[in-house]
Amino acid sequence: MKTTEPNQHSQQNSPVPVSGYIVLVFAILIFSGIFANSKGWITVFDFDTLNGKFGTMKDAAKATFVGAGGFGAKDGFMFALSLVPGVMLALGIIEVVEHLGGLKAAQKLLSPILRPILGIPGITGVALISSLQSTDAGAGMTRALYENGQITEKERLIFSAFQFTAGGTVTNYLSSGSALFAFLTVPTMWPLVVLFLMKIFGANIMRFYLSTVDRRANNQ
Amino acid sequence: MSDKTIIDVFVDGAKKGWSMGVNNIIPNVLMAYVCINVLQITGLLTLLGNLFTPVMAIFGLPGQSIMVLFSAMMSMGGAVGVAHGLYTNGILNGTHITILIPAIYLLGSKIQYFGRLLGTVGIPAKYYPGLLAISVLNAAVAMLLMRFIA
Repeated sequence: MKTTEPNQHSQQNSPVPVSGYIVLVFAILIFSGIFANSKGWITVFDFDTLNGKFGTMKDAAKATFVGAGGFGAKDGFMFALSLVPGVMLALGIIEVVEHLGGLKAAQKLLSPILRPILGIPGITGVALISSLQSTDAGAGMTRALYENGQITEKERLIFSAFQFTAGGTVTNYLSSGSALFAFLTVPTMWPLVVLFLMKIFGANIMRFYLSTVDRRANNQ
Repeated sequence: MSDKTIIDVFVDGAKKGWSMGVNNIIPNVLMAYVCINVLQITGLLTLLGNLFTPVMAIFGLPGQSIMVLFSAMMSMGGAVGVAHGLYTNGILNGTHITILIPAIYLLGSKIQYFGRLLGTVGIPAKYYPGLLAISVLNAAVAMLLMRFIA
């Protein structure tokens, strides 16, 4: 269900179903890649295992249906086509997580820490979680928060700095990024953790700038 | 709440993934491959690679990897395509990809986001350069971080 502006406040306070927390934990496990090297049934909780692999062509070593040695638009098309199953799987899982209240649970857990770590109020929780899924959804909700007087101009700038770097973080990383997961030398969760750390870091640079340099400029 | 089953919900999400793939990822990756092809044919890729070797060495990366970062500014999917292409050509290895992957997203789609994000929110244009600088700094710090754990 799409969130509309007027009920943002009620969403904020409505109870999180237990299924929300459960599905959130499962989603984190699936996308973290920690079971990538496990054996047996536990690997059903690994995104790469669920995503599977294409069968190989005759020269087995590295030739999938994309083939080897191609170049230009045709090679790009085949490679891009090979990304589509991962994107569909990732968005399918995210949709289920959202449906079962997982995003609400994430938002609930997040709201109390937004003020200390970002200097923005807990009411931005819904917009923040949405911005991790879709840049456009986050942008629209941020605008509405400002127009309804729920965030100040300074908070809007800090929040925008958070969203501007690595926009649509979770969706983008899990979809297009999945093409590179197989080459990573660390579990897939680590780069995602770095993305979050840097988003918070960037927002705090803006927060620091606004409370020092910018404030002095405005006082003059 | 609707009375959709979990299967329906998953399929709805997968449809979104399909349209994202068809409307966004495929065109952008195709564009990136054509650009890389042009750069390779003209010899500009080697030239750019040599030019950026000293800068990229700070992050433990070969000079050509600058192309991944440039294309990220236009499209994240495109940058993934470029990284994959350079890996296939033996220019990048797994460690390089690991160092680059957060930077792809931190710099990702900057050009589009000026309009789609900052324009929509209504951020005054005087803050645009600062916001861009923060993204570039974020990417640089992320590559240094990844260099240690990759």
